[in-house]
Amino acid sequence: MSLYDLIQKNSNLFFIDAQTGHAVSIKSFHQSLPIDDRQGLVFIYNDNLIGSVEVLLNFMNSRFTIVLLSAQLHPSFKQNLEALYTPYYIYDPGRTAIFGYNTIATSLSIQLMKRKTLPEYYIHSNIKMLLSTSGTTGSPKFVKLSDDNLVQNAWSILDYMPIQSDDVVPLNVPVVFVYGLSIFTTNCMAAGTIVCTNNDMLQPAFWSDFTKYNCSTIGGVPYVYEMLHRIGFFRKNHPSLRYMTQTGGILNQALRNEIVKYISTYNKQFFAQYGQTEAAGRMAYLPQEDLLTKAASIGQPIKNGRFEIDEQTSELIYYGPNVFGGYANTPDDLSSWHETNKLYTGDVARQDEDGYYYITGRIKRIIKLFGTRLNLDEVELILKNALGGQTVVCTGINDKYLLVSHVNDQLEEATIKKVLQEKLQINPVSVQVKYIPTMPLTPNGKIDYSTLMMHA
Amino acid sequence: MHTQQQVEEVIAKAFGITPNDITDELEYQSIPEWDSVSHLVLVTELETAYGISIEMEDVLTMGSVAKVKELLKKYNVEQVA
Repeated sequence: MSLYDLIQKNSNLFFIDAQTGHAVSIKSFHQSLPIDDRQGLVFIYNDNLIGSVEVLLNFMNSRFTIVLLSAQLHPSFKQNLEALYTPYYIYDPGRTAIFGYNTIATSLSIQLMKRKTLPEYYIHSNIKMLLSTSGTTGSPKFVKLSDDNLVQNAWSILDYMPIQSDDVVPLNVPVVFVYGLSIFTTNCMAAGTIVCTNNDMLQPAFWSDFTKYNCSTIGGVPYVYEMLHRIGFFRKNHPSLRYMTQTGGILNQALRNEIVKYISTYNKQFFAQYGQTEAAGRMAYLPQEDLLTKAASIGQPIKNGRFEIDEQTSELIYYGPNVFGGYANTPDDLSSWHETNKLYTGDVARQDEDGYYYITGRIKRIIKLFGTRLNLDEVELILKNALGGQTVVCTGINDKYLLVSHVNDQLEEATIKKVLQEKLQINPVSVQVKYIPTMPLTPNGKIDYSTLMMHA
Repeated sequence: MHTQQQVEEVIAKAFGITPNDITDELEYQSIPEWDSVSHLVLVTELETAYGISIEMEDVLTMGSVAKVKELLKKYNVEQVA
């Protein structure tokens, strides 16, 4: 069964447009937009609003290959990508006309742009979706995913995620990120209501909708949880909330303790997950009961997946039916599909005696300070824990210095150096501390290391 | 007593822009410099500058420069023109 058919099978599913409060049945989105019956690319500049959802569902139910992009992508990046890939259709709620395209009003509220001249390249029939690996830089490099990749990923998540048929799910994670896409696909298959919104958690409207619609769940990367902590989310019960999900890195100890306290006080659930775009979503999750005992672990592989650690490099290798079919850098790359179940994650990992996996770093996030191998992710976590969960980011400068960037102008340089010396025997002279007013983040909320390094 | 100008300087510092770019009408998410990250920086900066502690509900109401100034009044931070 295709992903689209599985979603339509959940026939009691409703989508709420948070802007108007209107609820629309999944049935009314079935073939709601007249689109051509052919192969080709469609660029969907997604904004998580109900229009984007309707367009996405209509193209899922077609022979088109969907390229999911952020509506907020810089206009020049949009132009470059469109010039390179010459998509047959474009959906961009932010533009009313595009050169070389006819504007078609496909419904009262939705306009599609259709290319005037037909693109001339072949797309392998396995390629259902193209996702950007960064989502931010406008890079032409995409991950090729099949419908089966997406379905297998969704089934594996539904195996452990406590999704119920009356759940109300806010789309607070952008669908253009594979994590947001997983939230979207699994809940479309099994939940009751999806709240389409582009409000963020620092806007009162998000929380009034959260209460109004009795939202059951919330998801985010570690930074989102740091933000929730900052705004006092964990100080009171949110009665409709049943479970929280997290991905995109390991939470620091102080924050994890806070969350454990919250979920045990108010009887909630929390799922830490590990995934990658190349795996169409998830690869591992940490069961709730292990949250304290196996704190920093990514847990166990999802159903139908397994891990292996490379003996030489300690790189984590994943095997599963959700592994992608290769990258596309140009339209020419769309003619092929590399069938495999093996994925080199680029993460360094270890496994404990109970079979739990721990990410100990990224292959590139390693520096050598005075000949000593230093894992920057570990250093970061150690510093964060010692400093009570503050945001600090470690990078290397030519294997000569460890640079610690932080956003707290009250934080003393000496405090940081002392922790590093005490815990890791790092000489203060090889440490540079830099206060920056704001931490550069990628749009999916992860630390933007490349920007940090550029300004080092 | 604090001047409006001082408040605007604190806000500008949090966003990494010049005080000249600060107007009462400026809203959260209306410029790239005022996103969720810098919003929390702003909270910290205001707390430090005025020795106050801003509640969760109030963090969420700071949707514009005018609202930030209004909020400061609630925390007894007097501002003169």
